[in-house]
Amino acid sequence: MTDIGKVRLRVPAIIKAGDVVQVRALVIHPMERIERDAQGKIIQKNYNYIDKVIVTYLGKTVATFDTTQNVAENPFFSFTFKATDPGLLKVQFLDTTGGRYEGTAEIKFS
Amino acid sequence: MTGDHRVSRRTMLRTLSALGVAVAGGFDPVTPGTAHAQALGQNETVEAAIKRLFGGKTIKDGSPAIKLDVPIIAENGAVVPVSVSVDSPMTPTSYVRHIYVLADKNRIPIVTRVTLAPEAGRAFMGANIRLGETGDVRAIVEQSDGTLLQVKREVKVTVGGCGG
Repeated sequence: MTDIGKVRLRVPAIIKAGDVVQVRALVIHPMERIERDAQGKIIQKNYNYIDKVIVTYLGKTVATFDTTQNVAENPFFSFTFKATDPGLLKVQFLDTTGGRYEGTAEIKFS
Repeated sequence: MTGDHRVSRRTMLRTLSALGVAVAGGFDPVTPGTAHAQALGQNETVEAAIKRLFGGKTIKDGSPAIKLDVPIIAENGAVVPVSVSVDSPMTPTSYVRHIYVLADKNRIPIVTRVTLAPEAGRAFMGANIRLGETGDVRAIVEQSDGTLLQVKREVKVTVGGCGG
């Protein structure tokens, strides 16, 4: 899959200063599940899944998600933040193989 | 996941930024990703997971404050939308520090742990999760004063989504 790591961020079109804004973030990622052999034993290997999502706004961490393999394929997260100043909203996804995928949105007031 | 660990990490981040060390470095998880994930998600029962996370602390019923939004019937266990929102002023003195989502019947019961800052404005999280079979989904909320609140709802799953 060449699409791994594609991040989509969706923020409302109109944001007013002081609003609490809900953002939706999606990343294309396989989120490998635990595999078992014929005896039902877990196969030990380094499963590739996202285990951390970090949301920063104006350089400050607003929310972090610590996730396990129980999160669905192509994980989707939503969260809120308080839009106090125009600036950059950044969402980083880290997976267990060292991958780091990033999506940004410029927060502007209309 | 003890309190000590959290404090030390936070202090460390603060120190790093105070020293003006590269900001990108400051965001790196202190522990390697894999070790961290194994610590959070383990093959255990939900009771063991709660005990491991919270020790023997009592968990109060949080139904007036917490809104857990899950489907009653999930046709496909591989993608189940879940959202949790908590009544909280989200001020620096009183805010929701963590929202945990647990699925009772999953082999790894802990689904996600969300750490929020007061800047989030509202205690809210949403995610698509996997459910292995019909069972309770619970949300446990840890407030900044250490109070634990919990709500749970049953989700009927037609086709399991955890494999294995």
